[in-house]
Amino acid sequence: MIAVKNINKSYGNLHVLKNVSLNVAQGEVVVIIGPSGSGKSTLLRCMNYLEQIQEGSIEIAGKPIGLINKGGKFVEMPQKQLDQIRAEVGMVFQNFNLFPHVTVLQNITMAPMTVKKMKRDEAEKLARELLGKVGLADKAQMYPDQLSGGQKQRVAIARALAMKPKVMLFDEPTSALDPELVGEVLAVMKQLAAEGMTMVVVTHEMGFAREVADRVVVMDKGVLIEEGPPEKIFTSPEHPRTQAFLSKVLSN
Amino acid sequence: MSLDFTVIFEGNNLTALLEGLWVTVSMTFMALVLSTMLGLFIGLGRMSRNRLISTLCSWYLAWFRGTPLLVQLMILYYGLAIGMQIDLSASVAGVLGLGMYSAAYVSEIVRGAIQSIDKGQMEAGRSLGMSHWQTMVKVILPQAVRRMLPPLCNEFIALTKNSSLLSVITVSELMRAGNLIVSNNFRYFEIYLTIAVLYFLVNYSISVGIGRLEKRLRVEGGRA
Repeated sequence: MIAVKNINKSYGNLHVLKNVSLNVAQGEVVVIIGPSGSGKSTLLRCMNYLEQIQEGSIEIAGKPIGLINKGGKFVEMPQKQLDQIRAEVGMVFQNFNLFPHVTVLQNITMAPMTVKKMKRDEAEKLARELLGKVGLADKAQMYPDQLSGGQKQRVAIARALAMKPKVMLFDEPTSALDPELVGEVLAVMKQLAAEGMTMVVVTHEMGFAREVADRVVVMDKGVLIEEGPPEKIFTSPEHPRTQAFLSKVLSN
Repeated sequence: MSLDFTVIFEGNNLTALLEGLWVTVSMTFMALVLSTMLGLFIGLGRMSRNRLISTLCSWYLAWFRGTPLLVQLMILYYGLAIGMQIDLSASVAGVLGLGMYSAAYVSEIVRGAIQSIDKGQMEAGRSLGMSHWQTMVKVILPQAVRRMLPPLCNEFIALTKNSSLLSVITVSELMRAGNLIVSNNFRYFEIYLTIAVLYFLVNYSISVGIGRLEKRLRVEGGRA
């Protein structure tokens, strides 16, 4: 479903992703962990080309996103083509990024109506279904500011789902939440995973990784240092840097 | 010669002043529409990834902000007519001159407001498959407009006041109407004070109007 091949990315002299490759199968839940500054969020953001890469290729469901090979040279694909592929990749951000000037319902209907030219009634019906699914059916007419952080993030998930994506990317979806609100967001994500959604999640929630992930990927200093099933990574990690990282986060 | 405000009502002085006021208001309004639209384009153009467009827009800003309005009006009205046989009517030259001058300032207001919107908003729109422009129109601009209102209010008031310069290119607006009356009766204080009060009333209405608009948008739209 997602094929990341040998991507390299730098900000000026800072080489943040070094030859990273990662494949995600259909229906698989991959959790990326690692110390801050390890490049895990950047890797995730590359998967829908919110971050540009200098080298390598990324494919979503067999179609390249971002860079394409044109006569032996890597060039950026036309914006229109990029938009089409992005529509198939849902993204949930750490800071929600809900649209504050419209209601919860309009947050969800905007993209289907704009991109897919869906009729208003149809889009609103879909939005209400999705709001029901994330447990916020009664909040349709509220503005994002009137919601708690956990509710905002659940709306953001519903908004991404409204485009019927093939893949969902989660960029530290619970890091900006008060501790007591983390659970409700993770519950929605677990439900999605159980329904067979292909998911890539960057998180510090080790409990979630352990319980839901099919595979855990550990990054450090722009390199993918270790990957494997969660039991293996959490109980007997091989790489010394994984051991060091886990001993720090798990001791809390 | 003691102060005597009854001169305002002498002959058709009051009619002349009110007619002048109407010209001021209507020309300012047309210039304001031009300035807002042009300013929006220049402001967006300055952020364009196309180097040619952004350079042209930067030069527009530099030129129209960097030269006096009075000089621009002289070039537009007398300069073009005599130097290049482009004979604009006084009111056309006036609206164009005021509008293009003010657009330079509006473009900076537009740019500032757009750039103050969190980067995550554009990312969220793009990640949903909306194009840059769709996101700009549906997500960024509606939020940016709210932030533009207070500085736009300043700019529109400045525009109204600057419209008094149109008197030098023979537009029969408020200032010119006053000048004509004063040249007959030499009642400088009474007439110019009256004009000042009229300008003040227009500008006070603008600030109250925009203040109300701001409040309404805030209630409707939650944050931002």
